[in-house]
Amino acid sequence: MRDPCTSLSGLLERYFDRDVTDQEKRFVEDHLQDCQACQDELRSLEELQTLLKVPVDEAARQEDFAWVWQKIEREIQAREKPSWRESIRAWLGLFFPSRRRVLIPAVAVALLIIAITSPLFFKETPSQLDSSVVVYLESDTNNVMVYEPEKENVTVIWLFEGPDKESPT
Amino acid sequence: MKQEEVELISRCQEGDQEALREIFNQYRERVYRIAYGVVRHREDALDIVQEVFVKLFRSIGNFKGKSSFYTYLYRMAMNTAIDHVRKTKKFPTSSIDVEGGVHPSDAPETRPDRILIDRELEERVKWAMDQLPDDQRAALIFREVEGLSYQEIAEAMGCSIGTVMSRLHYGRQKMQKLLRPYVREGRKA
Repeated sequence: MRDPCTSLSGLLERYFDRDVTDQEKRFVEDHLQDCQACQDELRSLEELQTLLKVPVDEAARQEDFAWVWQKIEREIQAREKPSWRESIRAWLGLFFPSRRRVLIPAVAVALLIIAITSPLFFKETPSQLDSSVVVYLESDTNNVMVYEPEKENVTVIWLFEGPDKESPT
Repeated sequence: MKQEEVELISRCQEGDQEALREIFNQYRERVYRIAYGVVRHREDALDIVQEVFVKLFRSIGNFKGKSSFYTYLYRMAMNTAIDHVRKTKKFPTSSIDVEGGVHPSDAPETRPDRILIDRELEERVKWAMDQLPDDQRAALIFREVEGLSYQEIAEAMGCSIGTVMSRLHYGRQKMQKLLRPYVREGRKA
C-alpha cells in the first residue's frame, strides 16, 4: 500500500458515489491518471461495494415472493379475527364504554354483596350442630334445668317453683 | 409522489388488502435487498419482508406524505432488519470467530472449494457488518446495495447529508480494515 494521498480528501468518495459536479469530476479524473495511491483507494471502494452488493443481487434474483404474500395475507387475516379474550373485552366495552372507571367499582360492589349475603347461605343450624349440655333435675317442690352452650361461656339455669312459674337466674 | 401512488396509499390506509398487494409487488424486492443486506441470510430476510409489510398495513395511517413513500418504507425495512439482528445476536449462527478463522467442523470436505470460499467470504462480510454501529451499517447498505443518493439516504435516516457522508466514510474505513484479506485497505483518516 502506498502512502495515502491527501490531494482529493473527501472528493474521491463523492466521485465514487457520483455526487460531484462536472468540474470536480474532471479534476478527480486528471488526478487519478498520475496518482497510484488514489487509484488503489478507488479500487478498494469498488471491491468493498462488490462484496456488499453482489451476494444481495444474486439472492434477490433467485427469490420467489409469491408464497411470502400468502403468509402476509394469512397473518393480516389472523390478526383481524379477534381472540376470545378480545371478544369478551369488546362485549364488555359495549356495556361499559369507559371500562376501568366502571368495572373497578362494579367488582367492589359485587364482592360486598357476596360478603353480606354469604352468611345467609352458609348459616349453621345451632340445634343440629351445637353439642350443648342440658341437665334437668326434678324434685317434689322445684324443677331445675341447666343449659350450657358449647361455644359460649354462659350457663343458663331455669328454676321452676310451681307448675306455671319460670325464672331464669 | 405520483397520483397513482397517492391513490394506492390512500386505499391501503382504508384497509384495502388489494392495494397492499400492489405495494408489495412494487417494493418487495427492494425491501428484501435491504433485509438481506443487513442479515445476509435468506430465511431471515424473507421473515423481515413479511414483518415489514404486515407492519406497513397496520401503520400506514401514520404516513402523512411529508416524505417519499419509498424512503418511509426503506426506513421501516431498515429498522425492522436491525431489530431482527439485535434479537438474534443472543444466538449467533456465524461460524467465524473473533479472529476471523473458520472452525474446521464447519468446512465439510465434500463441498467444492469455490462454494466454501464464497461461504467463508459471506460469513466474513456478515461478521464485519455486525461490528459496525447501526447508523454506519444502514448508510452503507442504502448506498452500496440500494444505490440511494446522499439526499435519499438523509431522508430515509432522518439526518443531514453531511452526516450521511460522514457515516459512509467511517463505515467504509472500518469495513476495509475488517475485510483486509479481501479488500485492499483504503486511505487512513
